[in-house]
Amino acid sequence: MNFDSRKYVFIVIFLFIGVLYISKLFYMQVIDDTWSLRAQVIAEKRRLITPPRAVVFDRFGKKIVANRTYYNLMMVENNIVDLDTVAFAKLIGWTKEEVKQRFIDIVANEGEYYNRHMGKMDPNYRPYRSYPFIKELTSDEMVKIAPYLENYKGFYKEVTSMRDYPYGTGANILGYLSEVNQNEIDKDAFYKAGSRIGRSGIERFYEKDFRGTKGVKYIITSALSATIGSFEDGKYDTTAVQADPITLGLDVLLQGYGEKLLKNKRGCIVAIEPSTGEILALVSSPNYDPNLLVGNRKIKENYPKLLENEDKPLFPRPLASEYMPGSTFKLLQSLIGLQEKVIDENTGFPCNKSVVGCHNHPSAQSVTDAVKMSCNPYFYALTRRIIQQGKKSNDNEDAELGLDIWSKYMHSFGLGKSLKTDITGLRPGLIPTPKYYDHWYGHHNWKFSTIRSISIGQGEVQVTPLQLANMAAIMANRGWYYTPHFVKSFGEKGPKEEYIIKHKTLVDRQHFDPVVEGMRRVVYEPGGTARRARVDSVVVCGKTGTVENYRGSLKLRNHSVFIAFAPMDKPKIAISVFIENAGGGGGTWAAPIASLMIEQYLKGKVKPSAKEKRILDAILLQKER
Amino acid sequence: MRKNESIIGNIDWPLLSGYIVLLVIGIGTIYSVAYDPEHPNLFDFSQKYGKQIMWLAISLFLGFLVFLIDSDIYQKFAVPIYLFTLSLLILVLFTPPINGARAWLGIGSMGIQPAEFAKIGTAIILARFLSTSNIKKQDRRMVLIANGIILIPMALILMQPDAGTFVVFTAFLFVLYREGISYDTIIIPILNAIPISSLRFKQTWIGTHFIPILFVVIFLSVITLLYSSTVISIDFLDIEMGGYWGVFSFLVALFAAAYIFMRSTFTRRDRKRAATIAIIGLLLSVSLTATVDFGFQKLAEHQKDRIELVLGLKEDPNGDDYNRYRAMAAVGSGNFSGKGYRNASVSSVESNHVPESETDFIFCPFAEEWGFIGTFILVILYIFMILRIVFIAERQKSVFNRVYAYAVAMILFYHFAINIGMNIGFAPVIGIPLPFFSYGGSSMMSFSMMMFILLKLDSQRKDVLN
Repeated sequence: MNFDSRKYVFIVIFLFIGVLYISKLFYMQVIDDTWSLRAQVIAEKRRLITPPRAVVFDRFGKKIVANRTYYNLMMVENNIVDLDTVAFAKLIGWTKEEVKQRFIDIVANEGEYYNRHMGKMDPNYRPYRSYPFIKELTSDEMVKIAPYLENYKGFYKEVTSMRDYPYGTGANILGYLSEVNQNEIDKDAFYKAGSRIGRSGIERFYEKDFRGTKGVKYIITSALSATIGSFEDGKYDTTAVQADPITLGLDVLLQGYGEKLLKNKRGCIVAIEPSTGEILALVSSPNYDPNLLVGNRKIKENYPKLLENEDKPLFPRPLASEYMPGSTFKLLQSLIGLQEKVIDENTGFPCNKSVVGCHNHPSAQSVTDAVKMSCNPYFYALTRRIIQQGKKSNDNEDAELGLDIWSKYMHSFGLGKSLKTDITGLRPGLIPTPKYYDHWYGHHNWKFSTIRSISIGQGEVQVTPLQLANMAAIMANRGWYYTPHFVKSFGEKGPKEEYIIKHKTLVDRQHFDPVVEGMRRVVYEPGGTARRARVDSVVVCGKTGTVENYRGSLKLRNHSVFIAFAPMDKPKIAISVFIENAGGGGGTWAAPIASLMIEQYLKGKVKPSAKEKRILDAILLQKER
Repeated sequence: MRKNESIIGNIDWPLLSGYIVLLVIGIGTIYSVAYDPEHPNLFDFSQKYGKQIMWLAISLFLGFLVFLIDSDIYQKFAVPIYLFTLSLLILVLFTPPINGARAWLGIGSMGIQPAEFAKIGTAIILARFLSTSNIKKQDRRMVLIANGIILIPMALILMQPDAGTFVVFTAFLFVLYREGISYDTIIIPILNAIPISSLRFKQTWIGTHFIPILFVVIFLSVITLLYSSTVISIDFLDIEMGGYWGVFSFLVALFAAAYIFMRSTFTRRDRKRAATIAIIGLLLSVSLTATVDFGFQKLAEHQKDRIELVLGLKEDPNGDDYNRYRAMAAVGSGNFSGKGYRNASVSSVESNHVPESETDFIFCPFAEEWGFIGTFILVILYIFMILRIVFIAERQKSVFNRVYAYAVAMILFYHFAINIGMNIGFAPVIGIPLPFFSYGGSSMMSFSMMMFILLKLDSQRKDVLN
């Protein structure tokens, strides 16, 4: 039998498989791109590069927030060869046990996942991935380790950048950074585990202006996640762009000086440039060095201490503390009285101590003198006229109408509502409205005599030191203000738009002159309450305040308040100073501190004097008499 | 000297050229895949490309020896050669396992795999046996011996275990088919024992075409497996049935159609035969698919998974299917013109996404670097070589030469089809090398020897009068 024809069976099979394979290859390689996309997922990785955050300059170009290089000591377990634990521990300054424990902790920190194949929990940790062994080593620490690192295979250094505050001031303004939480990672694709985000201050408020633009690097990675090379020679890569430097209106020397003055005192100073609304200084005391909260290691160490400190250094007093304004409030009562025409410049009221307490002085014969002498009965009478204008026959209804008018004036001065300053943590203060008293006393169940303490800035009225400083700026500008703000310019772009809108108060320009003259007399005339506020060759206008306060029924030492601006013509600085439980009056502590701040800002330095020494030496931490 | 000149003159240059081209592409690919910037020299023997060149040199030297030695010795010493390779296969079973298999004889990287050389031994003795002048190809004893020659090394290889080479040995069954070995002597007594009809068979299609039918059976089994765990729903009849019933219905329809076709065309006498064949075929197919289906359902879950993965019913990129998934990704990402030489990003040894990319999966980096242009040429080249060997086989006067040549063609075809098949999702991942291409001394030497013996036999075909 001849089986030669069977060769065709073979030839057919071979050709069939050849055609089949070529067809499949053509489909896989040319037509269908499923496998190409899978290959991309497998081998190509996008690596995001985070630029250093924007640096910050003060108004005179001093760098106040910089970035400093730190190092992470990284390790890849699979690359570690014969680790001499003892020698390694010695190199990094740990004990042998700590090193061993660290390895255990790294695995534990990664958590576990449910392995479907094995039906049990498996660690997320992968011995071929890199993990930080020690985070955030300073250059000095790294210098000691780096030369010997090549003896320890599997360990290498990685550069990171963290904040540095060369002046160590303004912690409550600048804020601090910390690592993002899972919620933040989920919400914003910019962040990944280990990214840092602004937690407070302007770093938080302007997070997006600080963080810059991420760069993307397309790389080819191995199955062990090692980088093999850039994809297509980096054709699609983009570079990380650091955000433009941010210039603040802050004068870092003034800020530092303010912090020095408030040492051993509780209180705050806010200084504003009236013509722009730029915040020159915002001191909260007690405060802390912002360098204490740089990086996880330091945050872990220092944050709990700061949080537990009973003087609350983390609390931004100038923004969030609501105080009664005391006699500083009398300036506004005068202005409203003049605008409402319930008085004129030369209206006098007797200093009738039977209504409200006062100090000994002659009766004021004009609003100017009333301001100078801070006469309580005068402003009592004046405010009564504002509240009870007699437009309605019923006293209660009349008071309702009057208070409504009054509160609108107050709002126009930026009181009773949050200023839209570019920082988080602002409080609104309180300007009572008719609704407010209706709630407490019942509708039409109150009149001026019920609420009379508001006339001298006590009672229900509350303002923040920032609002108080803004009030000083309004006095300086004679009737208008820009919302106080920190950022003078992003790169060359200037501030955000809302800070170049001029806000006008409801009081006309001409009514300011007698009141401002009163403020001058406060400082310069006999009988004025703040002669300690004088500054050589500069005319300072100010107003003191003495705020009584109680803990329960226990009367505590008075708060000492002072607001001022200088020079009287073309003012360059408006300031509020608030010293808690200082004792004495506004002229005792707050006024001299304000004058030193004005001197520092206008002259660039302060001549050593007995006045300065007295402030620096004072310890005013006791609350009770 | 006259003889040597005639050898060179009689060498089949097309086949030899194909061999050389494949070698060059292969070493080029290994150089690309395993390239180490610290050892850029192609002849650096510490590197895989250097070693492969060393293996090639040894192979060429062996080839040179083959050309010096008279081709008669293969026929004369077929039995000792076969026994020698079998003894190596037994010996290797007593070595400590490497990666779970006792496949290596020798020390470290200088070891050899006896299974690779057993292919040559088996090919030679099969040729020797089938070329015996007094052989009766219908004789049951002969059929059993021929199959025994193949099954003994297969059994030994399975004990290593080396599933890949085990499968490759079934290639020899096709050689038996070409030589007309019929399985009737085994099948007819069995058939006649079944009281289906009063007919007594003298010859069956199954026996005659046993091997092709066997592979049809395997094909049917695969189809069954493909559908056994699925559910077929016929919406308009509102019927849902298990996948097996789908296959069953298909088979019934198929054989019914075949019967109707045969009734209308065949003569009366043949019609009866046709009916019997159709019924027996149907029963056999149905019982086969039923057995496969039942067996599959009885398998452990992980074995089922494995089979489903092999058949592409399931994808598990990071688990069992890891290798094939990544290999296919690498091949597919080559696109039309490839990523360029030494630019394989998925399958280079350095990136390591495809394991064994210099040995069993070497087709990956080649496909990734050269794209469809490259793979097209490579498939054509292999098919050309295999067909050329068939052409050579058919021009032999000697049965020994023809059987040997077919054995080479089938072994080569198996390696080609399975190796490339597993890179493109057509074959399960069983580790067998791509001939002349994959890194590895044993496969390089055994395939080269196989090729040189064939060339030598062919060059002396006119001297032989068998």
